[in-house]
Amino acid sequence: MIRAALANLAAAALPFVLALAIGAIVLAVTGHDPLSVYALMASEAFGGTRRIAATLTATTPLLLTGLATAIAFRAGVFNVGVEGCFYLGGLAAATLGFWLVGWPAIAIIPVALLAGALIGGAWMVAPATLKVRLGVDEVVTTLMLNFIAVNLTSWLVNGPLLARGSANSATPAIEKTAELPRLLPPSTLHLGFIISLALVILYGFWDRFTVTGFRSRLVGLNARFCRAVGIDVPSLLFRMMILSGLIGGLAGAIHALGLVHRFVAGFSPGYGFTGIAVALLGRNSALGMILAALVFGALASSGATIQLFSDVPIEIVEVLQGTVMIFAVAKLGLLLRDRRGLA
Amino acid sequence: MIDPLIHAALLMTTPILLAAIGGLVNRVGGIVNIGLESMMLTGALVAVIVSADTGSVVLALLAALVAGGIVGLLMSLVVTRLAANEIIVGLGFSVAVAGLVRFLLKSVYGVSGTFNPPGVVMLPRIDIPVIADVPILGAILSGQDPLTWFAWAMVPVTAFVLARTRLGLRLRAAGSAEMTARALGLDPLASRDASTVFAGAMSGLAGAHLSIGVVGLFNEGITGGRGFIALAAFYFGRNRPWRTALGALLFGFFEALQIRLQGRGVPAELVQMLPYLIVILVLTGLGLANRRRSGSSS
Amino acid sequence: MSAPASRTRIGARAIVRRFGPVIANDGIDFAAAPGTIHAIVGGNGAGKSTLMRILQGVDRPDDGSVILDDREVRLTAPADAFARGIGMVHQEFMLVDELTLLENLILAREPVHAGGVIDRRKALAEAERVAAMAGVTLDWQMRVADAPVHIRQILEILRLLYRGADVLILDEPTAVLAPTQVRELIGLMRRLKAEGRTILFISHKLDEVMNAADSITVIRRGRAITTVLPGETSKAKLSEMMVGEPVELPLVHPAAPHAGVPVLAIDTLVARDGRGLPRLGPITLNLYPGEIVGIAGVAGNGQDELAAAAAGLGEIDAGSIRMDGRDITRARTGSFRDLGIAYLSADRAGDGLCLSASIRDNFIAGSEHAPAFSKSGLLRLRAIHEGARRALDTLSVRYGAMGDPVKSLSGGNQQRVAIAREFERKPRILIAAQPTRGVDIAGIAFIHRQIVAFRDAGGAVLLISEELDEILSLSDRIVGLYGGRITGELDRSDASVERVGRLMLGEKAA
Repeated sequence: MIRAALANLAAAALPFVLALAIGAIVLAVTGHDPLSVYALMASEAFGGTRRIAATLTATTPLLLTGLATAIAFRAGVFNVGVEGCFYLGGLAAATLGFWLVGWPAIAIIPVALLAGALIGGAWMVAPATLKVRLGVDEVVTTLMLNFIAVNLTSWLVNGPLLARGSANSATPAIEKTAELPRLLPPSTLHLGFIISLALVILYGFWDRFTVTGFRSRLVGLNARFCRAVGIDVPSLLFRMMILSGLIGGLAGAIHALGLVHRFVAGFSPGYGFTGIAVALLGRNSALGMILAALVFGALASSGATIQLFSDVPIEIVEVLQGTVMIFAVAKLGLLLRDRRGLA
Repeated sequence: MIDPLIHAALLMTTPILLAAIGGLVNRVGGIVNIGLESMMLTGALVAVIVSADTGSVVLALLAALVAGGIVGLLMSLVVTRLAANEIIVGLGFSVAVAGLVRFLLKSVYGVSGTFNPPGVVMLPRIDIPVIADVPILGAILSGQDPLTWFAWAMVPVTAFVLARTRLGLRLRAAGSAEMTARALGLDPLASRDASTVFAGAMSGLAGAHLSIGVVGLFNEGITGGRGFIALAAFYFGRNRPWRTALGALLFGFFEALQIRLQGRGVPAELVQMLPYLIVILVLTGLGLANRRRSGSSS
Repeated sequence: MSAPASRTRIGARAIVRRFGPVIANDGIDFAAAPGTIHAIVGGNGAGKSTLMRILQGVDRPDDGSVILDDREVRLTAPADAFARGIGMVHQEFMLVDELTLLENLILAREPVHAGGVIDRRKALAEAERVAAMAGVTLDWQMRVADAPVHIRQILEILRLLYRGADVLILDEPTAVLAPTQVRELIGLMRRLKAEGRTILFISHKLDEVMNAADSITVIRRGRAITTVLPGETSKAKLSEMMVGEPVELPLVHPAAPHAGVPVLAIDTLVARDGRGLPRLGPITLNLYPGEIVGIAGVAGNGQDELAAAAAGLGEIDAGSIRMDGRDITRARTGSFRDLGIAYLSADRAGDGLCLSASIRDNFIAGSEHAPAFSKSGLLRLRAIHEGARRALDTLSVRYGAMGDPVKSLSGGNQQRVAIAREFERKPRILIAAQPTRGVDIAGIAFIHRQIVAFRDAGGAVLLISEELDEILSLSDRIVGLYGGRITGELDRSDASVERVGRLMLGEKAA
């Protein structure tokens, strides 16, 4: 039992290990010492309360984009459109955050978060309908919707929602009352982390203990079987895609209210795509995704500071993220088998 | 008034068209290539470096082509030999290569964002006397760079190769019926890899066009999502070279239009949305047509 | 009519092939002379497909050998077999839908000019040559996706000719064809024979075999029972050899004659298969409480569509299905099940079970929202575990842990999990499609007892099986299905292998 669990963990960690190896090659070739860079990154990510707080802040959006992706993936829906939901949710929440002047925190925060979630869910109605009704491949539609969302929000913050007197593409700052409370001042860690973590844990329960969680997992495993035992598969797929969008939107809303405190063009440095890596690496399980989100959060937070203390550019983090994604879906067992065959 | 717009539209079309033809061939071979952007970016950087180092446009193009092809090969091997999902791998390459390019710029060249080495030789423009002075026609035919000519020449070539040659036939078989191709003694995975290498090489040239064809320097945002516009173009074209070229031209025109309209109250972002929106509409139309067809037989 | 078979073009000598405990081929011998049509007949699971895979070089025998031109050979790969002139047309066609007929014909053997440009004139000339050889004409520029199924089949055969095969293995070639097309195919086979080619004709449609073959080898339970000439046998004798003696029927007590109201009434129903081709109907069939109605028929005669329609999964074009008088034709699958219709699918790995999910999950699938298993959207894990344990124990399912995936179980235990799931719903109607396929002897008897017990408790059973002995030993009434239509009905007291066999072959009940 324990051995099996360890083997599982090792298999799940393998993509990350391989990515670190490739990162090490890149570092070595460009004249850096990989080990000391990784050691520095580890201490920058976890060395002390403030660094840990920074890592958890960076983890926050990934928890939810990973969750949003996992909810779709586990039902067999290939939603790669969480990034777009993140943008729209962020913009909606930020907009309400500066519009609803004078609202108390207890009202403005839930309303803004809800609005962010709803617009994310609404954004998925079209691709979900197209998939369920017309059999249109959701990969392409959701991918395209990402670019539409980025451009749409970018237009809004350059025009109608542009902060007065601002040259940047950004909305005005949200009301102080709309900001999510900080957990560990002066660090930027905010309430959104708790909300996100709670939602992922809730997802873990939902996965194991609820009728819908059961059904959507089964549909992802064998949709034909589910149809034969009377489960309404199209309706379930539709709802899972909307739910995925809701959570993607909420992720953006939390990011706006918790960290950025406004919406700016280029709001997400690819959180939606990193969320795909989180879901894949975490194998759609709550615990796995928390660990994976922490790994990517640590990469992001350490990357942000290592270039202050060394000459290693922050982009090594992106290299690692992308490589993890690639290896997370590769059937590495095939590699081993080929090797054995050649030997 | 219209001439500069036509000229700009064709200029904007070239990189989209190059990558879209590559992506089209790749898709015919059975892989939807989401990593075109990464291969473009590689080509753009390599072209600037080689152009500045050697002063040779030909070598620069060749290097971009090879570099893009190598990225394509790597991506293909992960997909075909390790049975990885092509969408995720493509996204992974987009993220990793973008990171790697910026990392190398900072680490090796010590620059951030923009890389403008001295001595970059740009693609020449081919002016055609007499025709150059004809309105519209002159804007279309004269003053274009060799890659633009190459891109448009590749449209009929691709159509011919796919339809009429052994290579094309086997690629189409590999893409749509892998098992059958294998049962007949073909090697569909090798065909598929070759098509991805081609997509990478074409995208590498597309990147070179952006860097040494248009601006003469490299910028980390130089591709600006054109790899995905190319994806939109070959989805628009539904695997047909001429229709794909039409899509690329349409999207190139939008881009040129958007630049012209800047400062005239028409938001650039909304124009930039159009290619993606059009693809969704095309897919919706296809889905409706399919449903009507299956519905009418019932 | 053929020359004395002094030479074997293709054959088998004592071929044995085991898959774990299962012996698929148990010492098979046969010999097909050159220039003949040799039929190999046998029921599902008799070992025909394993034999074909071996003859084609896809699989290798554990013992014994393939004979080619009187010599023992070891075929290492399909390409190896092909180099020796052996080609096969599979039931699942190996064609590229997006390509034209001509492109499919020449694929991987393209005539080309310099530079790899396809020589279309030569390709077309070659195509016309093989078509003329076979005595057919085709529209070579048509895409395969647009070609009807019999054209695709002819194309497969022509491609073998184009590639130079002189032994053609045709696996159930008539299963997908309409009667006139079957006649055309047999004509084509005869022409090829006349040219000296050898044809192995795998089938379980006995009238076609009797019509076309020069010699017939019967396979049952992995053994070649006998090889006969059509002139020396009859369809009745062949079918008896194929199915063996009907087993004893100790389990079954004839049901009481049914009361007036059918629980399930199928009226002039017309349904299509998954590919949208009309396969079933119009048929009319009533099912009464406390009876087992056996549907006898050779595979591909509409059974799958009948089972799917009755289980609420059908592609129904016309007609109606009523339960207790209520029209449920267009109702959702869930409604069928909630009204008390249970379904054991013939395709256990496809929609009968979710093999990668746990035993427990398979047990509650489709009932997860029932009060016994959940409350306000939350699963009652304890109750589920207890319920599953009880139900599985009742059916003597042997399993490791409830969380193990179903694919870790043997075929018989897998089917018991499906039965446990379906019976847990307290159904009134059971649609049982090939309920003992892939199940061992002991498991078969157990499953039969369950079905009979369900009937004895007042349940109605629609039993669809290609196993004639299963149909004969369980059914209260037997209905023959042929070409998607009902050929007749027999009461169990009137049923015999011969009479049911005639129904299955499309002859009206005498």
